[in-house]
Amino acid sequence: MTDILDLPFDVRPDPDEFIQAAMKWHFSPETGSPFWLRRAETLDFNPRVDVKSHHDLALFPNVANELRDVPVRELLPRAYGIDDVLGVFESGGTTGAPKRVLCTKDWFAKLLDWSSANLDQFGFPHGVDWLGVLPTGPHIVGELFRRSAAVRDGLGFTVDLDPRWVKKLIAQGRHREADAYAEHLIDQVEFVLRTQDIGVLTITPPLLDRLARRSELVDLVNEKVKAIRWGGTQLDPDTQSMYRHEIFPNVTLYGHYGSTMILGIAGERADLADEDPCVFDTFSPYVTFAVIDPKAHRPVHYGERGQVVMNHVSKALFLPNNLERDLATRVEPLPGRVGDAVADIAPVVRFEDEEVIEGVY
Amino acid sequence: MTDLDALLPDGNYRSRTRTVVADVTGAEVARLSSVPTLLVSRTIDTLRAADPLDLDKRLAALRHAGELFAGGSVDGMLAEDYFRLAARIGGLPIAVIREGAAVAVLRLAQIGKSLDSARPHGAVTDWRDPRVHEGSAVWTRRGEVFSVHASGTHPGAHSLWPEALAMGYRVAVRPTRREPLTAYRMVAALRAAGFGPDQVVLLPTTQAAGDTMLTSADLAYGGDDIIRKYVDDPMVLQQQPGRSKILITEDVDWRDYIDVIVSSVADHAGGGCVNTTGVLVEGDPAPVAEAVAERLAMLPSLPPEHPDAVLPVQQLVSAQALDRFLLSQAHGTRAWLGGEGILHDLGDGSAVLRPAVHQVDRSDARQLGVEMPFPCVWVGPWSRADGIAPLADTLVLTVATEDERLVNQLITAPGIGNVYLGQHPTYWTKPGLPHDGYLADFLMRTKSVIRDR
Repeated sequence: MTDILDLPFDVRPDPDEFIQAAMKWHFSPETGSPFWLRRAETLDFNPRVDVKSHHDLALFPNVANELRDVPVRELLPRAYGIDDVLGVFESGGTTGAPKRVLCTKDWFAKLLDWSSANLDQFGFPHGVDWLGVLPTGPHIVGELFRRSAAVRDGLGFTVDLDPRWVKKLIAQGRHREADAYAEHLIDQVEFVLRTQDIGVLTITPPLLDRLARRSELVDLVNEKVKAIRWGGTQLDPDTQSMYRHEIFPNVTLYGHYGSTMILGIAGERADLADEDPCVFDTFSPYVTFAVIDPKAHRPVHYGERGQVVMNHVSKALFLPNNLERDLATRVEPLPGRVGDAVADIAPVVRFEDEEVIEGVY
Repeated sequence: MTDLDALLPDGNYRSRTRTVVADVTGAEVARLSSVPTLLVSRTIDTLRAADPLDLDKRLAALRHAGELFAGGSVDGMLAEDYFRLAARIGGLPIAVIREGAAVAVLRLAQIGKSLDSARPHGAVTDWRDPRVHEGSAVWTRRGEVFSVHASGTHPGAHSLWPEALAMGYRVAVRPTRREPLTAYRMVAALRAAGFGPDQVVLLPTTQAAGDTMLTSADLAYGGDDIIRKYVDDPMVLQQQPGRSKILITEDVDWRDYIDVIVSSVADHAGGGCVNTTGVLVEGDPAPVAEAVAERLAMLPSLPPEHPDAVLPVQQLVSAQALDRFLLSQAHGTRAWLGGEGILHDLGDGSAVLRPAVHQVDRSDARQLGVEMPFPCVWVGPWSRADGIAPLADTLVLTVATEDERLVNQLITAPGIGNVYLGQHPTYWTKPGLPHDGYLADFLMRTKSVIRDR
């Protein structure tokens, strides 16, 4: 019964059949997680009967806040064993206590295949070593980094970044300390870039910006690095244009927009014109976005701004209707995909009464 | 619709991301470019690497720039068009802007003299001065790049920082998004007058890039959000509310001072840090408040570009917010004017901010420090027993008294910026006098230098 949930990344299931199969998986006593089986008792609808398509995911409450407290083993669907788990991951911690999810090996393999195919589309090289300036844990991006390098026959070097500490410094007005921390990270980048043959750099836009202020590092990047994958915060179009035309003219730039809460990322759309905003497409139908007016609880029109709702539907995890901290412009998805593509992402200034601070993350 | 570009070392920069600049009715009149962080840091590096012009060239260019700013065509915009547009955007009466521009001409023409006034008596300006052979103090910069974070919309706010250019600094100016036109015009005028594009730049930025601007520069000053974040930094000088005041003691007839009070509160549209916020009267403050209110009530409500306009105008929504804020602050005071609200709705999306006069019952009333961007004064009682503590946080104090001992105390009080004795409004100044101390106190230092030959 679960064949449709086990398709390879490049075979796209019928979205409605897929959702119905996923509901059966997550809400059947034999396969579903203790968390969802218990939670289902409080729902005023029957997911196995009433959820027929992607749009019906909006029926679910947003349970993301419950993931701050729930014992994480309860999230694992019963059909899986602990052997099938890749790891426990946490959300950024920007807005209060972290939320936790489990990621299984089968989901991650599929995500990695999809992500790697995206990198091929952008011409990322195989067989080169990678340097990642990112949180190596507990966020999922560190895992994605290491395995992306490995699956493409590269070694992964890391400089660890603690975004929670940076955000705390900024919240407390300790701007000079935040500054010094960021410079400390770039110092470490320099050691790796000088001595190792790095072909792919994964980094956040604020740190890439700092790197680009040191001309010797710009030279090293231009000499060695073929492609830069950026993510974690947004790269504004003016800076992107400077990188493309002046600073890193021969380096491929590729952005991703991710969240631990979707166990993955959305990837930059290929073949955009230079003046187009950077559009991100999800790994549909497993990961989908909706851009909504949070007050009216309905989607905004294409081209309008709204808050991003994320859904993750796979065998490994079911997390629908998660209102994220970001604002975005709603963009039409690619043909055959469900949900929205997004562009021009920016943090909501206030989210659940805690100020969102971006920092170097 | 005008595009306000950033003015960078290699020319005008127009970003893809631009913010709308609106006039007082909310109508879009310009789009302001925004310089990304990376370009900000590169720009500051370029400024730091550039050599300043020679002093006499700097002074000549400053003089010329003032004339261009106030009377010339700058980047194709005539002075009259600038006055009108600045009034429409910022909401200050056009006459106030015109007068501010005239003051800028005087200030920029006399910066050489101002610097002479600010320089320590024993210091020479150049290490090549013959006195250095015997050993001398030399007046030197504390850095090379000065970051200006202007929050004001009055031309006066942009005629102070050019002194830094005279001192040999290279200067980056971050305009306020509320009214970027004045900063743009000053930077463009300075360039047209002879300062190279690697000497002075206009850097409109987002918050994040504004942080980089401040931290990449050597010294910074201003009153925007960025400055507030770094206010504890010794290389940062914050422009603060003036909380200027007038003190009248019993040995003087307050009736002689009504003109001074009224003009101190309301001239220049009443929103400056040198406009009077508090009046303290030895004896009963009620008759003073009544007389001032009667005079201020007569000021007309006109759109900012009207030649007779004297009061500031803002978009209705922000004017309403100010109105509510004043009401909340005025709780427990006696309203002589503006107690029912200070708005005059012009019906086009904008509103005039009309004067307010309130009476407080103590000299340490918190309201005496509440400064508003329109003519708003708090009048309260003062007695000898209160001492000078209620005046501790005051940019300009006008004092009417025969008491020399009191004057002595006020002159030496560290929390009082400037002291004017007698019939001088708090906004009075002339070129060469310190505004809040000399800017050079912050930007310059002395060094001992001796040389063999």
